[in-house]
Amino acid sequence: MTFVGADLARKRQLVERRQGSVYVLAVGLFAFIWMLPVIWTVATSFRPEPALQRNLASLLPLPFTTDNWEFILKSSQLWKWLGNSVVVSTTHTLAQLTVCSLAAYAFARLDFYFKRPLYILVLMGLMVPFEATFLPVYLLFSNLKLHNTLIALILPGIASSFAVFLLTQFFRGIPLELEEAAMMDGAGRFRIFLIIIIPLSIPVITALAIFTFLGNWNSYLWPIISATSSEVYTIVIGLRKLNQAWGDVNFYGRDMAAAVFTALPIIIFFFVFQRRIISGIAINSGIK
Amino acid sequence: MMTAFSVERMVNSLFGLLEAFNPIAEPYRRFHEKLPPKMQQTVTAFMFILPFGVLYAIFTILPIFQTFYISLHKWEIMGTNIRYIGLKNFERLLTRDTQFHQAFEQTILFVALTIPIIFVGLFFALMLNRPIKGIGIFRTIFYLPNIIAVTVIGLIWSRVFASSGRGLINAFLENFDAGPIPFLDQGDLATLVVAFTTLWWTVGFSMLIFLAGLQDISQALYDAAEVDGANRRQQFRHITIPGLRRPFAFLCILQVIASFQIFGQVDVMTGGGPAGNTRTIVYNIFETSFLYFQVGYGTAMAVIMFAVLLVISLFQLALFRDQGVGS
Repeated sequence: MTFVGADLARKRQLVERRQGSVYVLAVGLFAFIWMLPVIWTVATSFRPEPALQRNLASLLPLPFTTDNWEFILKSSQLWKWLGNSVVVSTTHTLAQLTVCSLAAYAFARLDFYFKRPLYILVLMGLMVPFEATFLPVYLLFSNLKLHNTLIALILPGIASSFAVFLLTQFFRGIPLELEEAAMMDGAGRFRIFLIIIIPLSIPVITALAIFTFLGNWNSYLWPIISATSSEVYTIVIGLRKLNQAWGDVNFYGRDMAAAVFTALPIIIFFFVFQRRIISGIAINSGIK
Repeated sequence: MMTAFSVERMVNSLFGLLEAFNPIAEPYRRFHEKLPPKMQQTVTAFMFILPFGVLYAIFTILPIFQTFYISLHKWEIMGTNIRYIGLKNFERLLTRDTQFHQAFEQTILFVALTIPIIFVGLFFALMLNRPIKGIGIFRTIFYLPNIIAVTVIGLIWSRVFASSGRGLINAFLENFDAGPIPFLDQGDLATLVVAFTTLWWTVGFSMLIFLAGLQDISQALYDAAEVDGANRRQQFRHITIPGLRRPFAFLCILQVIASFQIFGQVDVMTGGGPAGNTRTIVYNIFETSFLYFQVGYGTAMAVIMFAVLLVISLFQLALFRDQGVGS
């Protein structure tokens, strides 16, 4: 049986090697067409406005100019918005990991009164869409006069049911013996949590951190209603406001440069964490 | 080992600082030790849960009740004009508000039009699920749009489809004296454009879920089938398709929920137009609450939407339960 399997595998390999390069070429061509709008966007950001007035439909940045980019890179507004995004998403992510991993430890490891009803209450949060809560939260921040602050962009969503669920599942899988040994040495629960549970959970925590960060960075509905003063725009909202201000007639190339500028940091982020993102997606969507 | 060591040092210095609280902590500790074990753990557990619990109560639990409460009122956003009106908001929504009915139908249409994303994702996954060198890069390429913000995606595609010569396709057609095609100025076309943009943006997610699913199907099954003389098509029908049942169900539910919540694409690309043709439920809530300041009426819409999503989420919870949440 193994012999037949190996034989089949070899046969398959040979056939696939022969067809491989043609296949990759075909897929490559398709991917190129799929990405044409992106190529066009980047090319357009390097073309001067008069040329864009004459003809938009060019995939080559000709005639070539860096004027649009110089304008964008000199814009203190865009850098400010980028800074806001970094601060908001980083703080939000760190806070969520801290708060949710603490709660998850209790649900995973402690035996306490009301544990089951409380855990069910947390899981019920999985079924609550943002739309069901955002108007009262909006009114709450209005009453506290907290709109147009970064705090308002950071706070909602920190207490994530999904994060608690994911971490609880993972913590349950950590061998109890490790904890018992530490307890013998007189370590308390909080110390065990910090020196045993957290270091052993770095992979799942990293995966969660990446997706929390991405989700917060890209969020749209909440920041567009809460942040109405340009001081506190995130880069995602800032780009939207620029488009509205510039229209699509006069600053076409500049607008496209701003779009690429907005996308670039997250694309760099993606390539840094590429492996973890690709492998973490199944974990983070709760299917595995 | 190195990291564990330094973590331990950091933790120790942290606990060193906490010793300053000993005068208060020590009497409590003596009291704590006299409690029965389960009571002890309850106190500890509540301290672990407290930060989460406070935020969860403020930002999830309370707002749900407030949403129901506000929906029973005529409530203007500044909080100046608030009056209890019972179920009148719902009565108006369900019987007379044709704009809401249109938004609801439009949302259902978006759900229907975005279901094919799953099948395109399956197609991409099958296309890339081959042991060929260099094929991994295409995974990255097809997934990449998914992590980019909706404002960027919406800008690019509204420029591609812009109705006059200021859009890529129409500028291209102009060279042949054809067009312009009013992509974003005509209701049905605009709907299709938004749906297609959503496909381009999010198909990489379905693709990755299916790829993970495909890799979970044991190669031995295919080998056995081949020995038994099953052709590729039969293998696909009897091994691949049943093997992908779970990711498929999972993606269906997720896609329906996501499409029900479509907002960003519409706000960026069409602003709900032309003539309200692409207005979705969330966009309608947004307009009612923040353009017309009728939060009471907006929350009533949110309650209806919540009810619909709740039913869908119950299916999702059943899926989660299969993974052993119940224990």
